[in-house]
Amino acid sequence: MRALRVVAVGVVVALLGLLVWDVTQSNGSKVASSVDKGQVVAAPKLVLPYHDRDGKFDLASMRGKVVVVNFWASWCIGCKKEAKALDAAAKAWRDKGVVFVGVDVNDFRGAASRFLDRHDVGYTIVRDGQGSSLGKWGVTGLPETFFVNRKGRVVPPHVLAAATREQLEDGIRRALAS
Amino acid sequence: MRRAIALAAAVALVAAWPASASDRHPTQGELERELVCPTCHTTLDESDAPIARQMKAFIKRRIAAGATKSQIEQELVDEFGPSVLGVPRKSGFDLLAWVLPLGGIAVGGVALAFGAWRWSRSRERRDPPQQAPVAPPLDPELERRVDEELARFDA
Repeated sequence: MRALRVVAVGVVVALLGLLVWDVTQSNGSKVASSVDKGQVVAAPKLVLPYHDRDGKFDLASMRGKVVVVNFWASWCIGCKKEAKALDAAAKAWRDKGVVFVGVDVNDFRGAASRFLDRHDVGYTIVRDGQGSSLGKWGVTGLPETFFVNRKGRVVPPHVLAAATREQLEDGIRRALAS
Repeated sequence: MRRAIALAAAVALVAAWPASASDRHPTQGELERELVCPTCHTTLDESDAPIARQMKAFIKRRIAAGATKSQIEQELVDEFGPSVLGVPRKSGFDLLAWVLPLGGIAVGGVALAFGAWRWSRSRERRDPPQQAPVAPPLDPELERRVDEELARFDA
């Protein structure tokens, strides 16, 4: 009877632990809404495999650089519209301590490759087929773009649609200044 | 015993036959009913999202190429992760999703039975069964008279 009680208590404790873990993991979803309110928040963890080579990209290793994080997919219409502006901005800021990373979510790898070839995308692309990073960043649709400053914090603005060259310039300058 | 084993094996074979046939020759409909669109989280047959349309086209191509159901499922899991499967697989770690609820019910049943048995035992110890009341011994004079009356009645 005593053993049964111990097992029951163990199960309850394990379930509570799961609940706490889930709540702490879902805190990232506040990132987008906080940035939209003008707040500066710590960037969620972003460790994903590269699209075109072995190894993983880790946002934390980019400390000291401004990082433009763009969530996209080949089937997204807005992503096609912004592709040219993103690539042009990436090329323009490449030697000024600004890194662009495209997070390809919920997409076929082959379709993504064709998209990248068609739009001649030259910056870093990582793959998130499951879309597991979306919740952490609070992404609700595609495309969305975030700006991470040199200290690893996400700064406003947060671009919720196809980004224009002006929006990208503005975001990068604000991240560099923060 | 041998007959029972043979019968069980035959039943298992018959039950497994449709599943194996379905794996070798999957239909577009069954895969669309079982796989989930990663952006809208409904089954493919109920989704018209762009990625769902791409997945349907992929399934069509792979069926035409002669791929089995499990191959197509695995290829989609490789692209989008295990959440595209509407139900967990009955192998590997996913098997836990099937086994744990049944195990939980079994453990709960055993615990309930054990608890009921313990409870009934402790009650027996607390309240021992009542014995039938014993009649007080008869007075010797009265007993003698009863014996006389019975003897007279027998005679």
